[in-house]
Amino acid sequence: MPNPIKPEKSVITTCAYCGVGCGFKAETRGEKIVRMIPWKEGKANHGHSCIKGRFAYDYYNAPDRVLTPLIRSSINDPWKSVSWQEAFDYAASEFKRIQAKFGVKSIGAVSSSRCTNEEIFLTQKLARAVLGNNNIDNCARICHSPTQFGLTNTIGAGAASQHFDSILQADVIMVVGANPTEGHPVFGSMMKRRIREGAKLIVIDPRKTETVESAHCKADVHLAIRPGTNVAILDSIAHVIVREKLYNEAFVRARCEVKEFENWMALVGDDKYAPELIGPIANVDPADIRKVARMYAGGPNSTIYYGLGVTEHSQGSTGVMCLGNLGLSCGMLGREGVGVNPLRGQGNVQGGSCLGSWPHVFSGYRFVTDYATRSSFEAEWGVTLDAEPGLRLPNMLDAAVAGSFKGMYIMGEDPVQSDPNQHHVIAAMKSMECVVLHDLFLNETSKYAHVFFPGSSSLEKDGTFTNAERRVSRVRKVIEPLAGLQDWEITVKFMNAMGYNVSYSNPGEVLDEIARLSPNYSGMSFALIDRIGSAQWPCNVDAPEGTEVLHREKFPRANGLGTFMLTEYVPTSERTSDRYPFLLTTGRILTQYNVGTQTRRTPNSLWHPEDLLEINEQDAVACGVRDGDWVKMSSKFGQIELRARISERVNPGIVYTTFHHAKSKANAVTSDLSDWATNCPEYKVTAVDVVRINAPTEDASLDAERLEPAE
Amino acid sequence: MTLSYSQGAAMPVMALDRILLMANQIGDFFAPYPPERRAEGIRNHLRTYWDPRMRDELLQYIDAGGAALAPHVVAGAKLLQDESHAKPGYYGPPKA
Amino acid sequence: MWHEVRGLKDEVDFGTPPRDGPPVTLEIDGVMITVPAGSSVMLAATKADRAIPKLCATDMLEAFGSCRVCLVEIEGRNGFPASCTTPVVEGMKVKTRSETLKRLRKGVLGLYLSDFPQSEIPDGWSEFHETLKAEGITSHPYGEAGANHFDAKVDDSNPYFLFDPTKCIVCSRCVRACAEVQGTFAITIDGRGFESKVVASQDQPFLQSECVSCGACVQACPSHALVEKSLFEGEYKNA
Repeated sequence: MPNPIKPEKSVITTCAYCGVGCGFKAETRGEKIVRMIPWKEGKANHGHSCIKGRFAYDYYNAPDRVLTPLIRSSINDPWKSVSWQEAFDYAASEFKRIQAKFGVKSIGAVSSSRCTNEEIFLTQKLARAVLGNNNIDNCARICHSPTQFGLTNTIGAGAASQHFDSILQADVIMVVGANPTEGHPVFGSMMKRRIREGAKLIVIDPRKTETVESAHCKADVHLAIRPGTNVAILDSIAHVIVREKLYNEAFVRARCEVKEFENWMALVGDDKYAPELIGPIANVDPADIRKVARMYAGGPNSTIYYGLGVTEHSQGSTGVMCLGNLGLSCGMLGREGVGVNPLRGQGNVQGGSCLGSWPHVFSGYRFVTDYATRSSFEAEWGVTLDAEPGLRLPNMLDAAVAGSFKGMYIMGEDPVQSDPNQHHVIAAMKSMECVVLHDLFLNETSKYAHVFFPGSSSLEKDGTFTNAERRVSRVRKVIEPLAGLQDWEITVKFMNAMGYNVSYSNPGEVLDEIARLSPNYSGMSFALIDRIGSAQWPCNVDAPEGTEVLHREKFPRANGLGTFMLTEYVPTSERTSDRYPFLLTTGRILTQYNVGTQTRRTPNSLWHPEDLLEINEQDAVACGVRDGDWVKMSSKFGQIELRARISERVNPGIVYTTFHHAKSKANAVTSDLSDWATNCPEYKVTAVDVVRINAPTEDASLDAERLEPAE
Repeated sequence: MTLSYSQGAAMPVMALDRILLMANQIGDFFAPYPPERRAEGIRNHLRTYWDPRMRDELLQYIDAGGAALAPHVVAGAKLLQDESHAKPGYYGPPKA
Repeated sequence: MWHEVRGLKDEVDFGTPPRDGPPVTLEIDGVMITVPAGSSVMLAATKADRAIPKLCATDMLEAFGSCRVCLVEIEGRNGFPASCTTPVVEGMKVKTRSETLKRLRKGVLGLYLSDFPQSEIPDGWSEFHETLKAEGITSHPYGEAGANHFDAKVDDSNPYFLFDPTKCIVCSRCVRACAEVQGTFAITIDGRGFESKVVASQDQPFLQSECVSCGACVQACPSHALVEKSLFEGEYKNA
């Protein structure tokens, strides 16, 4: 084997895959990226990486990358390639026509957690200042919106309380509804390192995930709960903490609203949450519930990491509040080694949350209904702003179906594949008169779009990402944008075409605007990050280089105290029946990333060429399904066909699949129920039936036949 | 730059059954709170997170009888019509 | 507590993980240097700008002490301890260069060189190649007749990286990276002595092994035995 060829140049940037946000050195030869090396000074990854960031970057160069803007007047017409200016002008004229006919509020915008902070901020500016309404949302809606709601209402900040390194001081690690070794691999490695050093591990997850047991790493307790019983089980853990007086009274008295603590004790202390009653509901051993409560309360440093298994439920926000309540009651907040921490799926979910791409808050989580906040934005932007909350993404789709919503600017998302109840989403898309899609590739949603802006990958633009530990890091342009414009430029030029006059010479100026308008980001600038590498918000005059651990002395609430919410368990109305006897839950795998737009265009698909349905052997026998058989899975929302894999990872009565491949259309079956507070969809619980079929119908077989078998 | 806020054609912003489902779910969460805080919590939630057209659709339904809504949801939603409950600067969950 | 991860520097390899103990002062080649207790002599030497040649040590992994290239002389101690596995002690006097050390290193590096494909020496840029250059090693006295691993097959099963056993110096950095950094334990050393070789899982191709393709082993490899396919042009690029 000859010697490899040495790269010529390198640029430090931030991985755009998951919420760990690893620092990388992107090495180039000429205008080609030849290697991504994890950056040893990256404070999220310390020189480590996973298969996605390290190797699966070549999607940017995929042959089907769209390189020119496209327009068409009807979704039944073929696309027409046009110049950038024609595309901007056409989209602008359509949006104006729709607003003239159907009203200012008949259009909206959606940004993505794959976008930079600057792009997300500009998209909300587009909606609020240019479209003139608050119909602005982002894809955190369908993953971690309950985090923002649930944590803000208990500990005051809808963000991870800790930095990742904090786990190296944890004694008890409780992972709820997350699978870090697959979903957040670099953090997963750090977690495993700590477990090998002796920390205890509690996993609450319906599935026996890789996190539950892997080489030299095994959960001390795994509560393999029935999907949809998070709140019951967490309240039962709280019940034991209350009844056995395991709480940290000194902490509660000093740091929390004591009256609310007492109200909470009365609720969770009620007999109905006793492990002996909740155990059968959640399908776990009551003794294990008691064990978890004692282990968590015993610490001395106990920390919680959770994912979409908590949030994507009709009680998603309540589940997050349960975790906030637990942390407060046991005093597991405000120092290193403890905390309550969401693991964010996409690279910039935290940024998406912070930067005001929400219908009810501006950047920094300040309400649009608040006069003083609104005035500061009006002064900066020179327009009068809507004082009422706008539509959330699922509301926009509902409104489209009802005929009151007619146009949408979608930046870096594929709602047809990623949003629940696909038939409903498609009906909504079809009823709109102008859908502007801004992405790298044509996707499921582009089938219903009228304008396509070809975007730039994260390797082709400048900006910042905020990772799951609130760390703001630089995204730096490694190569020139293939379609000619960086994403932030596209949004600005579209704003200009809509008649709003604004210009920035670089995205650093957008970050400066964010800093002027958002207290937690007030100290952020390209200059600061270039100097110190990265900074965690809050970053302001009191913390000029950022803040690693939140809540050290007080909680960011008006009175500085943490508070307890009453988290009554309300079973989801999605339940099994004779017709739909199984509960479907969904998850992710290491090698693929979300809807697969990027990873399916890389050799990563060698490891995961298709989505499979995991089914317990007992159920498989009952359904006459053998390993590798095609099955039809149906729910009251739709049906899909995929291959079965018999697995001990799921309990009887539960089936599981991933949602990485468009062809398998996992979201054609998922339910239309959503979180009571935020409308985050209940992806994690759908009642389904599974029937063996001889062969897939043509549509489903196309993709699968082209690819290698899974094993 | 000025913007017009014409609402366009008078039609329901979205299907009523979605509105009712969401309102009752919110009611379920606030159910364990004492009556006054329960109503205030529901009112604040609707005021803070719902597009005004969604609130109007809910209130019109309540005016027409509101039969499919839990009574405490009706009580909370009705506070939206009472300006004395508008607390500037505070729209969060019920306070102790 | 976490200095091991936070103290790493992009352009420097301290050889062993940074520590955060109380300060310890020692003398290296006449230079006084203060480092945290628990640090290795190798790390102290790197900080004193007296970097010691090494092959099996790197600062993302705990010291291993197998390559015998980083030997030093310490006043008052017998023998030639490996600087990677020797912790610093207050007042210690270390010598990193001497005629004896030079001879010892030359002997060890010559042995490594004798089982490395000779045609791949001139334009190489791996840590192994750079170490040979720095120590002025261009040849070895062992001839071509002895046993070697030149016929070992390249494992190109993984779409992203190659493993060429002919370039493997069996330093175990990949094995340790997979265990300590990634926590997957997919790589091991199979066999003993001259038969020792790096294998994935039960001597399987990488793609079929438990390997999760995190890249930690490739990054740790000092000799480009494990190397990214993307760095090649032509046949090995998409092998």
